[in-house]
Amino acid sequence: MRCQIESPGHAERLLAYCAGKLDSQAAAALEEHIRSCPGCADFVKEQRAVWEALDGWETAPVSADFDRRLHRRIQQEVSWWDLLMRPFRPLMARQGLPVAAAACLVIAAGVMLQRPAAVPPEFIPQSAQVNAASPDQLEHAIDDMEILRELNHLVRPDAEPKM
Amino acid sequence: MPERVKPDVGVAAAALDFDTELMLRVKEGDGASFGVLLDKYRSSVVHFLFRMVQNHAVAEELGQEVFLRVYRSRSTYEPTAKFTTWLFRIATHLALNALRDTKNEKSQERLDDDSSGLPARQVSDNQPSIEQYMVYQVRLEEVRHAVRMLPDKQRAAVLMHKYEEMEYSQIAKVLNCSESAVKSLLFRAYETLRARLAHMA
Repeated sequence: MRCQIESPGHAERLLAYCAGKLDSQAAAALEEHIRSCPGCADFVKEQRAVWEALDGWETAPVSADFDRRLHRRIQQEVSWWDLLMRPFRPLMARQGLPVAAAACLVIAAGVMLQRPAAVPPEFIPQSAQVNAASPDQLEHAIDDMEILRELNHLVRPDAEPKM
Repeated sequence: MPERVKPDVGVAAAALDFDTELMLRVKEGDGASFGVLLDKYRSSVVHFLFRMVQNHAVAEELGQEVFLRVYRSRSTYEPTAKFTTWLFRIATHLALNALRDTKNEKSQERLDDDSSGLPARQVSDNQPSIEQYMVYQVRLEEVRHAVRMLPDKQRAAVLMHKYEEMEYSQIAKVLNCSESAVKSLLFRAYETLRARLAHMA
């Protein structure tokens, strides 16, 4: 078998072999090739070394209070919105977004209707306006009265002016 | 040579059905099913995150966020992919963001300043000698360093391939790239790791 280690397909097969993911028939055929191919033999040896090194990388167990902390955070997540939407959750689960949107609209409409009607601004009676006559107007009025009196005297000279 | 991979489709399908069914129950408001999923995937998610960010406290915090997001997303969950694909997509996204943020901050405190993540070992008659323990620590640090030096996406691909035993197609879905891109990522990553770790054989 001609070595095809440079081809991606062959390298992929060698990786699968090292990971133990090839079935027995494919593995046997590859092993036969590896016995006669130093390049592939080196590849497999080195890849197995990597595999074993990675196997040796143990990690610490997860903290014992991981779940408790998570549940506490989840409880904190239950907001007023969650409580508000709870009756609609079964609907949303079945119908998805359209029903969710409809539910939001219903709630929004309810909130709008429940809201006290806008109170019109109270009528504020305007303060009484006193049109105070200006001194000029008063002077004109006196002059007019003087003229009328003089006219009256001219028309009826015997009439005494009544003041 | 036609590639023949061990047929584990049945097992995967069964796992898909079970996890998806559990998540759908969570969607219906069944908290106990969420607990089952948490029990099943808590360790693998946190360990994956630890190997990504190499800091135990950060890994646990990110792990909390992963499961919190799963819970938050329950009402909009749609079983369009395997549950583990969705779960590790969330985990990988958070890990890559954490790594990017750390790089951006150029913080003096590195994410990888943690110890191995293992509790300190007590030396006793039944346990390895101090010399063996030190050799183990040196080798472990070499492995951690080799993985840490990989580009973020290559690192994620290797960890999912090696420790989660995910298929190329699933890794591709998690990383949102093509299957051939995943093969290329893995090939380059293992090539780097062989160069750095082959002497440990």
